[in-house]
Amino acid sequence: MPLRTVLSRALAILVLSMLALTAPPRAAVAQDTLQPLLQQYAEELASPSRRSFGAVADALLADGRPGAADFLRRYEAREVVQRPEDGLFFYAEDAGDLVRLIDVDTGAAVADVSSRDVDQIRANAGVRRVIAAALVPFELNAPERARREAALDAISRSAEASQIAPLADSIAQEPDPDLKTRKERLFLLLTAQFGAERAERLEAIAALGGDTSIEARGVLNQLTATRTEVAPSLPESANIARVLTVGEDLTQAEAYADLVDAGLAEPAQTPSELRAVLAENIVDGRVGGVPVGRLSDPMARIEAYEALEDAGAVPPRAAPDEAAQAVAAHVFYDEYVLNDPEITTAAQDALDSTAQAIATYQMADLVLDGLSLASIFFLAAIGLAITFGVMGVINMAHGEFIMMGAYTGYVVQLFIPDYTISLLVALPLAFLVTFGAGVAMERAVIRHLYTRPLETLLATFGISIALQQLAKNIFGTQARPLTAPDWLGGAITFNDIVGISTIRVAIFVLALIFLGVLLYILKRTRLGLEVRAVTQNPGMAASMGINPDRINMLTFGLGSGIAGIAGVAIGLYAQVTSEMGASYIVQSFMTVVVGGVGNVWGTLAGASLIGFLQKGIEWFNPSNTLAAQTFMVLFVILFIQFRPKGIVALKGRAAGD
Amino acid sequence: MAKTTLAPRKGFLSENPSVLRFLGLLALFTIIISALAEGFGVGVISTSFLKVLGMTLCLCLIAVAMDVVWGYCGILSLGHFAFFGLGGYGIGMWLMYARTEGIVRESLANAPIPATEGEVRDAIATQIFSVVGSTELPFIWGFAHSLTLQLLLIVLVPGLLALVFGWLAFRSRVTGVYLSILTQAMTLALSLYLFQNDTGLRGNNGLSGLQNIPGLLHLPQSTIALWFFWASALALGLGYLLFAWLVSGKFGSVVRAIRDNESRVRFLGYHVESYKLVVFTATAIVSGIAGALYYPQAGIINPAEIAPITSIYLAVWVAIGGRGRLYGAVIGAATVSLLSSWFTGGGAPNINLGFYEIVWTDWWLVLLGLGFVAVTLFFPKGIGGLFDYLVRKP
Repeated sequence: MPLRTVLSRALAILVLSMLALTAPPRAAVAQDTLQPLLQQYAEELASPSRRSFGAVADALLADGRPGAADFLRRYEAREVVQRPEDGLFFYAEDAGDLVRLIDVDTGAAVADVSSRDVDQIRANAGVRRVIAAALVPFELNAPERARREAALDAISRSAEASQIAPLADSIAQEPDPDLKTRKERLFLLLTAQFGAERAERLEAIAALGGDTSIEARGVLNQLTATRTEVAPSLPESANIARVLTVGEDLTQAEAYADLVDAGLAEPAQTPSELRAVLAENIVDGRVGGVPVGRLSDPMARIEAYEALEDAGAVPPRAAPDEAAQAVAAHVFYDEYVLNDPEITTAAQDALDSTAQAIATYQMADLVLDGLSLASIFFLAAIGLAITFGVMGVINMAHGEFIMMGAYTGYVVQLFIPDYTISLLVALPLAFLVTFGAGVAMERAVIRHLYTRPLETLLATFGISIALQQLAKNIFGTQARPLTAPDWLGGAITFNDIVGISTIRVAIFVLALIFLGVLLYILKRTRLGLEVRAVTQNPGMAASMGINPDRINMLTFGLGSGIAGIAGVAIGLYAQVTSEMGASYIVQSFMTVVVGGVGNVWGTLAGASLIGFLQKGIEWFNPSNTLAAQTFMVLFVILFIQFRPKGIVALKGRAAGD
Repeated sequence: MAKTTLAPRKGFLSENPSVLRFLGLLALFTIIISALAEGFGVGVISTSFLKVLGMTLCLCLIAVAMDVVWGYCGILSLGHFAFFGLGGYGIGMWLMYARTEGIVRESLANAPIPATEGEVRDAIATQIFSVVGSTELPFIWGFAHSLTLQLLLIVLVPGLLALVFGWLAFRSRVTGVYLSILTQAMTLALSLYLFQNDTGLRGNNGLSGLQNIPGLLHLPQSTIALWFFWASALALGLGYLLFAWLVSGKFGSVVRAIRDNESRVRFLGYHVESYKLVVFTATAIVSGIAGALYYPQAGIINPAEIAPITSIYLAVWVAIGGRGRLYGAVIGAATVSLLSSWFTGGGAPNINLGFYEIVWTDWWLVLLGLGFVAVTLFFPKGIGGLFDYLVRKP
């Protein structure tokens, strides 16, 4: 505590000296001490209220006595107490069990007293906000960057006209370039909203055009806010945004509702009101002479009502064409709330130019989203591209290998608490585990079924449900966390529209690495050569001295191992459950089939197509991802009709027809 | 073979004694179960178990359809449960609409002013769709008030879907694994579509309360269960007969030839696509009918029933029972689904190994999965294949 006191005192002196340098001359002249001034406002200070405290704070600061800002700051921090005997205010500090009172002017310790002997002043949250707002001009020039930043945050939270001047003054002295640009932008925003001079204001508004930040758009939207009005004829004085056409911009019913809201028409009778009125007027089983039994017919109801109307029992009912006539007799228009055509026009122009920039950025964001989804699909499908695409084995348990990889990551995290290290351990370990599982499966089951491809589907489906249930039995049904290290936790934001989470960038990079490694293995290594040979013609390959059994085993292991690594990557951003693999399997098969079987590039193309397509469809209707998926699948079905062999189709004998 | 195809179909049953045997066994089974049932007989078989048996018969029917399309025609369709589900939705719409209508009319009967048809419809729509935040009757419910039209839809919707989908797929000569994945994609698209709240079939809430048959609410469930059991048995019998007849003649020979070598059949001048389309569509329609009988017994249908995995299960049943023989499909479906409900329903005793207790509700799927693997590896002809050994021995 004492160290903090020393520091804060030193800071106070610093602030004061800076204030002395920059504040208007009046402040420099003021020589009086603070305590007498505080006594003037003793009552308000002792029991502060949110409503009245703004005036007190302004008065204290306006007087320009040294230490006023510091006093308010410590007041805000609840460090001020009042001594009941003489009503004097002191700063309070902890001194063991006692409270040390410190003079507000000299900074000297006055006395140590029990906390019961002084009145603690408790400024509530509302009062503290008022103080923070009042202190903003002072904080703008504070020596610490954090305090200046906090002041800027306070301004952008609650902007006021009075902040323009201190903000403008503080720009020139701002040493930090980042904060300086922020101050300049904030100054523009404030001027656009509250600028006193029209020319200045218009200039600021024009400068905001093309600025895609939420604040800038918020200010412009506020300036161009409209409300829908209705009048018998277009008023001269109003600042009209546009005239609405009934039938196009709003429906007949909406227009009539507007008329009713504006008090220009009587509300139309609803069917349920009609029924209620009729029910009230039942006489001897008849309403207006119509038997109740017939009232299940809407026409009979109107007939009954009209009979009542003729008898004078109920008020006349608006005929349907009256409503239409009333709507036709009025003009509906959007009016700017701000009645200043010059400003609204400028703001609208600025908004239009912003809209273009936004469209560009949104496109960029869409591309990023599509890219990240495509890389996830690619990761999930690339293992399958090897086992299914190259070997022709339909491995329904592929999704369970993904799950197995993710659970491996989870288990590793249980033993290694450091997320970075555990991730580095988990990736190769997941590969080894699923490689082993894949090899075991190939040896035990799949090699017996190479001649019966459709039956591998059944056998591997059996393995899939068995593995899923095993995972459920071991890890339970609830989702397990696979936590990403901190350096993967954030997001890379380019501006308020374009942004992508770091984890997705990492997945993209991982997908690229996979692509490179796989291409290298298949095209540049002995193993790859043998794999391709066995794929194309096992018999010929065998006669060349290649062992097809071994190659098949290794290929299947490789595909499964890659699924395991993909599992770790997917687990980092999605939840690890026993069913996570199953949700990828159908999409993975579609990716491989759409891309073209037997080709890594094809899988890449398929994943890109499906990923971008899904994001693209989502763009039209962002709230409904299910619909996007539905349309995406429908597209895939249609696509396969026209290119049954996929995007990248093998030609010649390798196609295996 | 040529002889049988030219001969008139009079001798169909006598030439295929296995069909007659199956129908006889089915009739015997139905009579015995009915005699033991609660609603009619001595009451040894509870109503809930009778429903399980009735549902199993429906599953056997779709398995027979699946066997025709896969075991005889070689199309591994992973989409037949979608047709099954569509049939279920078809009957479910009428059941739900008519029952709600009854409730609504009853509650409006006491109103001072009789309700208009429009008001009744609005009240029904609110009752059915408030769960997905809507109060309007979607246009696909336009026929839901009429049982006849809805029954027609049960045949037409799966039939047309299969016809269009099959025409597209067979025309572009998608075969083998690709066709399987394509049908799976169709199933996925349908279930994703139904999962949406705004597509008019109550999203993932599905249709519920289907066990209450409008107009028959005064009857106890034990009686209704028995009726549905009989209907299911009759449908299975007729379906079996139809498909047995279909695959026995010349048509069946061509279909099996397509399975064995499609190109060769095409070179012989047959229009392969038409044959496939007929088989695909006919089996889809039968699947829809099976679904329409199944879901009133199950009481609820939701999009999860149509998820791609259920169609794979269907293929597995047929494989376990034995492809290419219709009774094999029946055996497979009945065995696996009855075993499933026995194990997961807690009927099977848990096994205590001392250090670990095997709880079958947790371990049944593991056993089932490994069972699939074992059957595929060691009994490629399925359980039905065992009969061959029995028949040949003497």
